[in-house]
Amino acid sequence: MTQVAWEKPESAPEEAARSGVQWKYLVGFVALFVGIGYLILQGTISGARYFITIDELLAGDYVGQTVRISGAVIGDTIQYDPQNLIIDFTIANIPNETKDLARTLYEAAHDPNAAKLAIHIRDQVKPDLLQNEAQAILTGKLGTDGIFYATEVLLKCPSRYEEAAPNQAIADPLAGK
Amino acid sequence: MLAELGFIATFLAFLAALYAAGMAFYGVRRRDDRLLLSARNAALATFPLMSVSLGALLIALVTQQYQIAYVWNVTDPNTPTFFRITALWGAQAGSLLFWSGIMSAFAFGTIALNWHGQRRLMPYVITYIMLTLAFFLGLSLFLENPFERYWIMPDNSVVKSVFALSGAVPPAAARLAETSHGLNPLLRHFGMIVHPPLLYMGFVGFIIPFAFAMAALASGDLSTGWIKATRRWTLLAWVSLSLGLVLGGRWAYDVLGWGGWWGWDPVENAAFLPWLLGTAFLHSVMIQEKRGMLKVWNMFLMLGTFSAVIFGTFATRSGLVDSVHSFARSGIGFPLFFFWFSVTAVSVGMLLWRWRRGELRDDRRFNGLLSRESLFVLNNIVFVMLFIAIFWGSFGAPIVSELFLGTNITLGKDYFLQVTPPLFLALFILMGVAPLSAWGVTSLLRLGKALIVPALLAAAMVALLALMQPAEPLVLLIYGVIALSGTVALWETYRGAAARHKTLGENWATAVTALVARNRRRYGGYLIHLSIAIVGIGALGSELYQQETQRTLAVGQSLALGGYTMRYDGFLGGQIADDGRVMDIAQVTVIRDGREIAHLRPRRDFYPNAEGMNTMTIPAAHSTAENDFYVLLVDWEAISASSATFKVFINPLINLIWWGSLLLVFGTLVGMYPDEKHALATAVAAQPSRLAGVKA
Repeated sequence: MTQVAWEKPESAPEEAARSGVQWKYLVGFVALFVGIGYLILQGTISGARYFITIDELLAGDYVGQTVRISGAVIGDTIQYDPQNLIIDFTIANIPNETKDLARTLYEAAHDPNAAKLAIHIRDQVKPDLLQNEAQAILTGKLGTDGIFYATEVLLKCPSRYEEAAPNQAIADPLAGK
Repeated sequence: MLAELGFIATFLAFLAALYAAGMAFYGVRRRDDRLLLSARNAALATFPLMSVSLGALLIALVTQQYQIAYVWNVTDPNTPTFFRITALWGAQAGSLLFWSGIMSAFAFGTIALNWHGQRRLMPYVITYIMLTLAFFLGLSLFLENPFERYWIMPDNSVVKSVFALSGAVPPAAARLAETSHGLNPLLRHFGMIVHPPLLYMGFVGFIIPFAFAMAALASGDLSTGWIKATRRWTLLAWVSLSLGLVLGGRWAYDVLGWGGWWGWDPVENAAFLPWLLGTAFLHSVMIQEKRGMLKVWNMFLMLGTFSAVIFGTFATRSGLVDSVHSFARSGIGFPLFFFWFSVTAVSVGMLLWRWRRGELRDDRRFNGLLSRESLFVLNNIVFVMLFIAIFWGSFGAPIVSELFLGTNITLGKDYFLQVTPPLFLALFILMGVAPLSAWGVTSLLRLGKALIVPALLAAAMVALLALMQPAEPLVLLIYGVIALSGTVALWETYRGAAARHKTLGENWATAVTALVARNRRRYGGYLIHLSIAIVGIGALGSELYQQETQRTLAVGQSLALGGYTMRYDGFLGGQIADDGRVMDIAQVTVIRDGREIAHLRPRRDFYPNAEGMNTMTIPAAHSTAENDFYVLLVDWEAISASSATFKVFINPLINLIWWGSLLLVFGTLVGMYPDEKHALATAVAAQPSRLAGVKA
């Protein structure tokens, strides 16, 4: 066993400390880093999605390019064909996200001047969270027909894990919930 | 009463933590035993105080004290008692307090077990843990207070305050109960009951090895003492985090209804990142223990793991990322970021300081590319690369693009599916080879010989998998590599037991038990390797060969998918459960080879009282070793329900993920089980350094 012959007593660590650069390791590691760096770079190039607002999407030249957008769902526009699993709805531009997401979404969905975008999704079961004033984060492409064809949907409801402000209804027995 | 009690207990715990941190540090500088004992006692006191605090909140939840805003937010009169208890961690404020409670429990445990064995490190350990605890308790006291109550002011406005305000009256109890929110429907699931506590235990548990590492740097006791003292704590944190991750996946699979269990979502990734560094650490410390090498690297990994824990907490709780799992946007983002930055900067600074003083030099140098230490280093590099790749994809790219490019670029699932598989594969290869190589030097020939039998076993497993699920040659090869990492573990255990059986004449059962008992760490580790191989095969199979279809069926009609037939038998509409939810249930029968093998009830639940999201689609599944037949009720014809639409998935091998993770727990328990000679702490140093000799 070469191992036994090679081992040094614990009391002689100085020798090790003085050792120079171990070239074969260095070359191996550099090769490894370069390889993995290349992998990450390639992945970044092919996987990158611009996360833009509806205003930016409509103003820029994004037709046919995969992007991510975010908007407030307008509840009345949701149409679902469960036979063919087709979902259509419209989202409104969210101007500036404030700390109170519920309020931001409410205002966006009710702003008659907000930019709107029609969304079309195929082969997906209607998510439970797809409802009025939810925030929809969609990945997909804008078609030449002005409709956004989404392939990935992420929905957030402001009351998801936390509700927003203390409810005035607590104080007022006549107010609705 | 409960609110005041809880708040005061939390506040006292906060003061005790600050006192303990300050006094431990001052005491060790002054070398004053009495001060150190006082610091220790204050640190121990945080645990009972936090028990009172959490107990008060729990009682408030169970006894429906809706005046407390937290209780009002997460429960309503229809909530079953069970979910009242789990509501303790159902939202930000409660879960933060719960987090601090777990941290105080860990602190209590480590002080009780390690105080005598690690006298030199303990004062610093107490300082670091207590500062962290004080920070989190500060968040609970000043920003996310779960004990605030609603009050109606004389001008009829509603305000929140723990203590009664002058002129204010509590709202009417009936009105509070009527308007209360109820727990988010998504959180009413078994996975959500155990997933958060386990994840928190995993996250919080890493504070112990981290504090010991920092204590080693601060005290100058840079021997392997800190590693030996914390090995079991690290394993406890690691296994909790592992299980937490798997159960999170199980929850997503059962509740989110998209047929998958891991979505490369930033928040999932945030919990996975510390796991990667923690796992690398568990491997590389062995090299320091056995060979006296990689001292700086091990420190770096532990500091990195805890930094990743705090970063993950920040990412999840600040609303930084958009994710299905995240908490609502909240005011604790900045303090958490600041805390993360300070922890990271201080620890890196301390490490560099000791390093530059030359106190972390390795005892040996590397010799031979195939030696076990070299392979372990390679394993570490791959883990760190995975960390970098996943961090970059989840947080790096969005942050860098926002800061420097003026745009917001996110990387989708494609990125992770492209970048991570080669790295995972490299890990499995190393898992197969490294246990067979020797410390010091190993020849290629020796390694090749040792691999023959495990490779044959792996080939047999691949053949079995190919029979169950035809697959491309490349996939079979990958299955083989993963299987090899498991068969090596099995074969090594068999060889050890066979040697005992032959030489000592023990029967097989005795031989295996005695073998494992003699080296629990090694064989516990092998069991973990085997379990990871099983999970890996399950993950690959379910990812690559998932089949899906959707159809609308009239009652009596069937659909076919992957050898199964599913018949729609009927519909049970408007079933009311105990907790007030309304269930619409489809009844289907799963048939295979002409035999009815299961009756499933996919359903949709409607929660009349829930705010925001109020429906949940609950899948039903028939599970076998081969696959899951997984059914979602998509829609049904109103009133008559004479037809209903289903989405059906077949998820091959997915159950291997859940079963493999059970084995992982078992393996970790074997590895953690104390040797008879030692107490749980094991860390009783050969010569406990006397306090008087403490070097600052």
